[in-house]
Amino acid sequence: MALLDIRDLVVRYGEIEALRGVSFSVEQGKVVTLLGANGAGKSTTLRAISGLAKPAAGEILFDGKSIAGLGPEAIVRLGISHVPEGRRVFPGLSVKENIMLGASNRRAPKRQLSDEADAMFDLFPDIRAFSNALGWTLSGGQLQMVAVARGLMAKPRLLLLDEPSLGLAPVIVQAVFRIISEIRRTTTVLLVEQNARMGLSVADYSYVLETGRIVLGGKPDELWGNEAIAAAYLGGHAKAG
Amino acid sequence: MSVGSDNMPATAPAVSTRPAFVRHAPYFIAAAIVVALAASMQFDGYVLNILMQATTFSIAVFGLSVVLGLCGQINLAQAAFFGFGAYAVGIGTTDLQMNYWLCLVAGCLAALAAGAFLGMSTLRLGGHYLAMVTISFQQIVTLVMINAIWLTHGPDGVSRIGRPALFTTSQGYLAFCVAMLAIVGYLVWHLPDTKLGRAMRAVRDNELAAGVNGIDVFRTKVSAFAICAALGGLAGGLFAGGFAYVSPDQFSFAESIVFLTMSLLGGVASPIGSAIGTGLLILIPEWLRFLKSVPGLYLAIYGLFVILIIRFMPDGIWGFVAAALDKWRTKIKTSPATKTLQLKPAMVGGDIVLEVQGLAKHFGGLKAVDNVDIAVRRGGVHALIGPNGSGKTTTLNVLSGLYKATSGRILLDGVDITTMPPHQRTAAGLGRTFQNIRLFRSMTALENVEIGAERPGNTMIGAGGGAALTERAMEALTFVGLGSRANEPITSFSYGHQRLIEIARALASNPTLLLLDEPAAGLNSTEKLELHELLKRIAAQGLTILIIDHDMTLVSEAAQHITVLNFGRRIADGESMAVLRHPDVVSAYLGSE
Amino acid sequence: MDLVLQLLFTGIGIGAVYALVALGFVLIFRATNVVNFAQGEFSMVAAYLMVVCVEMGLPYWLSFVLALVGMALLGVIFNLGVYYPLRHRTYLPVIIATIGASILLANSVLAIYGPQPQVLQGWFETPGIQLGPVYLDSQYLLIIAVTIALVIFNYWFFEHTMLGKKLQATSQDKEMASLLGISVSTMIMITFIYSAVLGGLAGILVAPILFVSIQMGSTIALKAFAATIIGGFGDVAGAIIGGLALGVIETFGAAYVSVPYKDGFAFLVLVAFLVFRPQGIFGERVAEKA
Repeated sequence: MALLDIRDLVVRYGEIEALRGVSFSVEQGKVVTLLGANGAGKSTTLRAISGLAKPAAGEILFDGKSIAGLGPEAIVRLGISHVPEGRRVFPGLSVKENIMLGASNRRAPKRQLSDEADAMFDLFPDIRAFSNALGWTLSGGQLQMVAVARGLMAKPRLLLLDEPSLGLAPVIVQAVFRIISEIRRTTTVLLVEQNARMGLSVADYSYVLETGRIVLGGKPDELWGNEAIAAAYLGGHAKAG
Repeated sequence: MSVGSDNMPATAPAVSTRPAFVRHAPYFIAAAIVVALAASMQFDGYVLNILMQATTFSIAVFGLSVVLGLCGQINLAQAAFFGFGAYAVGIGTTDLQMNYWLCLVAGCLAALAAGAFLGMSTLRLGGHYLAMVTISFQQIVTLVMINAIWLTHGPDGVSRIGRPALFTTSQGYLAFCVAMLAIVGYLVWHLPDTKLGRAMRAVRDNELAAGVNGIDVFRTKVSAFAICAALGGLAGGLFAGGFAYVSPDQFSFAESIVFLTMSLLGGVASPIGSAIGTGLLILIPEWLRFLKSVPGLYLAIYGLFVILIIRFMPDGIWGFVAAALDKWRTKIKTSPATKTLQLKPAMVGGDIVLEVQGLAKHFGGLKAVDNVDIAVRRGGVHALIGPNGSGKTTTLNVLSGLYKATSGRILLDGVDITTMPPHQRTAAGLGRTFQNIRLFRSMTALENVEIGAERPGNTMIGAGGGAALTERAMEALTFVGLGSRANEPITSFSYGHQRLIEIARALASNPTLLLLDEPAAGLNSTEKLELHELLKRIAAQGLTILIIDHDMTLVSEAAQHITVLNFGRRIADGESMAVLRHPDVVSAYLGSE
Repeated sequence: MDLVLQLLFTGIGIGAVYALVALGFVLIFRATNVVNFAQGEFSMVAAYLMVVCVEMGLPYWLSFVLALVGMALLGVIFNLGVYYPLRHRTYLPVIIATIGASILLANSVLAIYGPQPQVLQGWFETPGIQLGPVYLDSQYLLIIAVTIALVIFNYWFFEHTMLGKKLQATSQDKEMASLLGISVSTMIMITFIYSAVLGGLAGILVAPILFVSIQMGSTIALKAFAATIIGGFGDVAGAIIGGLALGVIETFGAAYVSVPYKDGFAFLVLVAFLVFRPQGIFGERVAEKA
């Protein structure tokens, strides 16, 4: 049984149908990427899984149990951690405080959290020096590291990563993806990416979203070079649907 | 403001050829009858007092319906402005032996000036400031009334206040006040359909969009606030003549709250609501006199009322009734305009309509836009593209004046607009739409587009009369295919149609350059095809378009010229097909290894 | 010079009360983006609760505890009855509702207790001590001491406890906080309780100096609001310093300019700041530190 199973998911924002019946699954221990142009519905899919968006129809099964309709606080307690687009690091809290708050879904004494956060810096050595710096003083790459570290503090069984490469220079993008390939050893990852090349490079399986539907799915080597991928990002030929 | 709900009954401005005074004759006839009744019926003193109070209070509450209802700003010092008028007439006609009319005008002007000053010092800041500053002002005015005994007679108040020679009897004076009420009521009732009134409603619904459509947001708010204060002053002057006695406790903060409750209860959006609320809150305490025997009890109930109205009936009694009536009213279909929309973009500058030189926008250390040059050629479609977070929307916001440029220059048709506020750029010929649609949601499609057509400097509306405006707006709506639904409220349109209305609003202003911010976002494929057709028709009339979009099919087919941004920098610029094949562009979109 | 020192002492004492109420304002504003116009009434209600308890013959310390428990309860009711139902609306309806709540609270107390101002004894028997040229009133000393203690507590609470961090996180980004498993509605509830207790504490402390009256709430609230603007809106340190500054300005104004217009100085300072420096003393700091 897949860890996450999504069936015919529909999400509406008022008049707009952002997802028009999306189905896919994520197997335990794998990295799955959702690719697609802006506005295709990638972020909305993650928001629906983590409880930020209410599904209008369809099923979201986590470990075989339906989680559609639960609030974000309940879902993160079940073991799904969402690192949203834009990092959303608390600007007025220090890096370490941000990371410690990642464990808010479980009960633990402050000292233990502090130790865990320190241990987290082993995975993210680049931000160790900024442990006491406030969130707003960091650069984009550092913020992304803090956001992922914070997401991992929840000890999730499934990590949702939304556009970790957004706005980062190529060198930093590579650093971030090195970390993702570290994470995959212990945690299942559902990754949303606009950077198709990077998204495919770490994935076990990928889906391509277009205007709220999945149009393509396959292993990275099957997808790379597929015309549909280029078309989804750069247009090129008129498409129906 | 409609205190946070969107379902405002929209007054349908059916295109009529009859002059206003003919159409509104029934109102004046009815008003004349009421005035005659007030003058001739025999009331006892008690009833007369209640009527006098209701009439004068209503005028003060009309003021709140302008500032709160139309413009969405708060005023918690209406009793203080009321006091300005009352004391002007009080002190003027007794101590200073001045003519009543002079005092009345002086009171209004004093209130107007005080209101304008408060507004100007505070309205650039958020609404919380305005609320607190008006409360503080209210307290100061009360302090002065009590303590400046040489001027105000202190807590004793001013008695034996005079009336104008024409209306010395109470009955006659009442008739005069009712006549004033009818006149002010008429003006406030029709204010929403004037240029200033439309500006106020636009500011209430969406400040950002109001500015981008050529409305001076700050001046509009200050005007609303000053009008409210002046109406308070007028009401106070009338009140002083009516009761011949004024004292500080009549103009306290508690009275400001009473005015506010009256306005909220009746419905902030309309003078009818104001009159209903005022009448009820004057009569109910009279019926429940026993409540007044316990000090504080009826004000406590007012406080509770305020909370309950805000929670359960945000549009007040009249808003509730009007919404119910609206359901019964059949939708008036409009006939589409017969003439095609004419776009005659100004052509002052040379070959280049928009010239951006070395533009930069930094947020702290983040260089969102960094040293970008763009040259948009006249009469074409120019696209600005780039991956998410590359600085496109920031660029657009700097171009339309929502952000200040850190450095660089922006020339629109030869005019330097770099430092202009949004409404002046619009006047200079810039039109734009928003990625997340920003329409005025309490208005009809037609009213929205009329606000666009009203752009200062629009040469296509002649002298700018109501009929010319409506005609221009109808043409624009017809141009985007929605001419027959002009009188429907925005909320009844689909998302795709709302996008079209936003484009029509920009087109109606006859801009020199049209900025489209992700017009295809959220559209389905049929709607995208329609949008593409529309862009072609716009371009065919010679209007220059600068478009941002993620739909590369649309961009590559519609635009002749593309500029690509990444990390805030320009990475490619040139003819469309060449740019899209540029290796830097491909790797920016698909990612590099 | 002696007079100046004496006035400075009095001004800081009064300013400390404004600072406490301003702190309550700022905490609620940061958590909910709403300015609570009933913040001053929290002080007024607490002072009356204290008067009621003392008149019933309860010991002073017990009255104090009961009054603060009552304030915590009021904070809960206020959140559930006024803020929570309107949390998804724009700021204007919420402002108006808190104004309604302020009127309701003030006039309910008036209806129950009548318009005569009440007198509350100070905590100490000794009226004060003479220190050189300055007479230190014991109640003023108490106010200053409690304020210092609270500022320290506040710092410890927000900087060194996980709960404090969660409150800060909630006020900075509610959606992100909920994604981490922080219960946003609980955090907002705690904020309202804490603010009501702070406001109540200020009211109880200032009561022996002023008369306990219906108007004390709105007077204190206006001063506290002016204090937050002077300090920089939404800034915790700014609120405290703004409060102290306003207390001193007002005391000197009353002594050297005019007593009847004492309450007007706050307004003048407020308008001066709005016109010349709307961001307040600390306004330009980018940091969102509590």
